[in-house]
Amino acid sequence: MKVIVKQWHAIAQWQWDTGKTDENGDPEEDVCGICRVPFEGCCPTCKVPGDDCPLIWGECSHVFHMHCLLKWIATAASKQQCPMDRRQWVTAERKVAAGDL
Amino acid sequence: MSVVYSRRLKKELQEIQIEQADPAKRAAGIQLLQADDLKTWYFSIEVLGDSLYKNETFHLMVRFDPEYPFKSPAVQFVVSDKVKPPIHPHVYTNGHICASILGDDWSPTLSVMAICITIQSMLASCKKKELPEGNDDYVRTAPDNPKKTRFVYHDDTV
Repeated sequence: MKVIVKQWHAIAQWQWDTGKTDENGDPEEDVCGICRVPFEGCCPTCKVPGDDCPLIWGECSHVFHMHCLLKWIATAASKQQCPMDRRQWVTAERKVAAGDL
Repeated sequence: MSVVYSRRLKKELQEIQIEQADPAKRAAGIQLLQADDLKTWYFSIEVLGDSLYKNETFHLMVRFDPEYPFKSPAVQFVVSDKVKPPIHPHVYTNGHICASILGDDWSPTLSVMAICITIQSMLASCKKKELPEGNDDYVRTAPDNPKKTRFVYHDDTV
C-alpha cells in the first residue's frame, strides 16, 4: 500500500523546567506559592503564559512567577525575604543545561 | 489595587468548601461559618482533645485587604452576646490577637486555613488562662482594625 501524506500538523507541548523532580508526581509543587496558579499558567496580572510571564528562581531553590515575586519583594513587609523560608531573596541563575534551552 | 489576585481568594474559598464537605480532609475543630463575599469571612474554632479550652467554641473574623495575599488579612476573635474571645495571654478582650504571622511574619504563601490552624494551636498550647498584660489600657485605646496596632512579639512560648 502506498500512502501519500497530503497534510500534517504538529502539536507541541511546553512546560517550565523548574529543575525539580517531583518523585511522588505531586502537582502541588507546580503552582506558584503566591498566586496558587500553576507555573504553566501565567500570573494573575498577565493574560498569556510563556516567555512574557517567566518564572524566577531563588538561591534558596524556591520558584515563583517572576511578577508575583517582584510584587512581594517590592512591599516593605517582605523585608526582601523569600516567602517560603524568609531567607534574604537572592535570584539564582537558571540552572538549565544549555541543550534544554 | 490587585483585584486580579482575588482569584486566589476564590480558589482558597473553593478548597475550604470542598474540605468542609469531606470529614476526612477537614481540619478538625475549624469550620467555615460565613463567606458571603471576598471581604469578610467567619470561622468557628474549637480545640479538640485535652486543653484549657475544652468545650469552648470561638468565632474568628477574617477581613481581607485588597492587597491580599501581599498583605495579611485582619484577624480577630468575635466578641458578642453569644460568643466570647478565649482568655489567652495573646488575646485581648476586644478580640484582637497578638500573633506575629498576622503582622511582621506574614508571608503571601500562607493561607486563611494556615492562619486558623496557627491560632488553634496557639490555644491548644496555652498553659494558663490569663489576659495579656495591659489589656485594659489596650482595649480602651485600640483601633477598630487590629492591623493598625503595632504589636510587639515578645513571647514565643504560647
